[in-house]
Amino acid sequence: MAEILHTLSAAELGRRLTAGTLTSRALCEALIARYDVLNEKVGAFTHLDRADVLAQADASDARRQAGEGRGPLEGIPVAIKDNIAVKGQPLTCSSKMLASLVSPYDSHVAERLRAAGAILYGRLNMDEFAMGSSTENSAVRKTFNPWDLTRIPGGSSGGSAAALAAGLVPLSLGSDTGGSIRQPASHCGVVGLKPTYGLVSRFGLVAFASSLDQIGPMARSVEDCELLLAALASADARDMTCFGSDERTLTAAGEAKKLRIGIPKGFLGKGVAPEVAAAVNAAIEFYRAQGCAISEVELPSADLAVPTYYVVATAEASSNLGRYDGVRYGHRSAQASTPVEMMTNSRSEGFGPEVKRRILLGTFVLSAGYADAYYNRALRARAKIRAEYLAALSQVDILLTPTVPTPAFKVGEKASDPLQLYLEDIFTIPANLAGLPALSVPCGQSGHLPVGFHLVGAPLSEAKLLAAGRLFEAAHGFAHQQAAL
Amino acid sequence: MAEGFDIDHLAKLARLSLTPEEKALYSSQLNSIIGHFQALAQADLPTSIDDARVVRESALRSDVPGPSLGAEAVTRIAPASRDGQISVPRVVDDEA
Repeated sequence: MAEILHTLSAAELGRRLTAGTLTSRALCEALIARYDVLNEKVGAFTHLDRADVLAQADASDARRQAGEGRGPLEGIPVAIKDNIAVKGQPLTCSSKMLASLVSPYDSHVAERLRAAGAILYGRLNMDEFAMGSSTENSAVRKTFNPWDLTRIPGGSSGGSAAALAAGLVPLSLGSDTGGSIRQPASHCGVVGLKPTYGLVSRFGLVAFASSLDQIGPMARSVEDCELLLAALASADARDMTCFGSDERTLTAAGEAKKLRIGIPKGFLGKGVAPEVAAAVNAAIEFYRAQGCAISEVELPSADLAVPTYYVVATAEASSNLGRYDGVRYGHRSAQASTPVEMMTNSRSEGFGPEVKRRILLGTFVLSAGYADAYYNRALRARAKIRAEYLAALSQVDILLTPTVPTPAFKVGEKASDPLQLYLEDIFTIPANLAGLPALSVPCGQSGHLPVGFHLVGAPLSEAKLLAAGRLFEAAHGFAHQQAAL
Repeated sequence: MAEGFDIDHLAKLARLSLTPEEKALYSSQLNSIIGHFQALAQADLPTSIDDARVVRESALRSDVPGPSLGAEAVTRIAPASRDGQISVPRVVDDEA
């Protein structure tokens, strides 16, 4: 049985664990054996503590034996992006700055996963401090797309997506500031959800851009994504932006075949690869044939999303990353005799090029004389974009677009042109600016490379997005698809 | 909108020490990215930013003492510590 465990969904693994035909130890041993063969090739993980994993698995099996199982995730491994704190595990953000940091505490989502009986399974590679769209900005290692090892897996949650596509783990956590869950999910042929801003606590998520960051579930099927979301979403007073328990009721899914789906005008035109447009158009026709009402909607300020995002996100990043000063944790330069030298040298030695670029950009847009022209105008543009999205979503239930304009590119292809890389995020950024939930679902291939479509809904409409995703997945059989390695 | 920036001033504000090669590279890349931001200068935008807030900020909680990590856990992850405290290079001269 061990040879097929890595192909099964978390839901199916849960059924076998419940039926007693599988133990968490056997599952974890099978996944560790696969890790030992494949991780060097794919580079999804930066750390795996085998003894800790097996100890957690044994504890889970013991709970089951005692009739104290904690729910559908009991005994199921969940791999975690390396910017989400797990007590006693590395928390490096794939940066030299935090290379030796071991987290002294659990994030809220880690607490939730432990309470659900899940196995906290390893640390996943990412772009340094979540800044990037290809995972090439990791200071630790390269991650490759399991569908084509010469190509990038997307980013910044590239390790989270590649681990799923390679069958190294059934579930993973990512974080999404401008598309960092959905873009790699699309490139690796898996499912990724960015929840409504405020649905999942960020306590223990290393901050990048606090008005945009969200933690979210990634999986090989929509059903599994939903299972993981249910475990993550809960009130938490330690994150002031997290909804209270009385504010977090999700809109009912309703009947998926009756959903009204809006197609933003112009989103399938310029800059979208023909194979991507064809796959997304086929998905639109599928929903039409199911009985969904398809209509065109206007989002006239969509072109402002990328510049708005890169002003807001870098401004917040330059402020958030001010905490890395070599004093309390992280890298401290050995070449310093004064506090200012210590801070400057520690930051210069610890941060990689993309992080420095974004700190400089954020410092510029906030600096005296420029803040009105850049940061304050970006906030006004953000208000306009959000208002337009909410207006469109008052006419339809869901907006459907490609997740990414083109399939995964070659490693190194865009490394020297940051602006080109920033444009990868054109379809995913607005959901972060507007605080909306958004889901990427695999919908076909361009040659041998996966293509995903992107659903965006009104705040707290996750159930509708997931119902629409399940309808598509059930008819197309992309669920649980993995690359052949 | 702004006509340019001083990379040395930005690096000083950001507490980054850049090599001449880094200064040249980042100046060129920032110019290109800031050029892309010009779309914001030409856009017809609302005067209010209220709609830009994605979540209400009414969740400020009372200041109530709670459990904390404790000195041992905090100094264990610090780059340098002594006698249960984090140590840093001398901040004030003896004569001061």
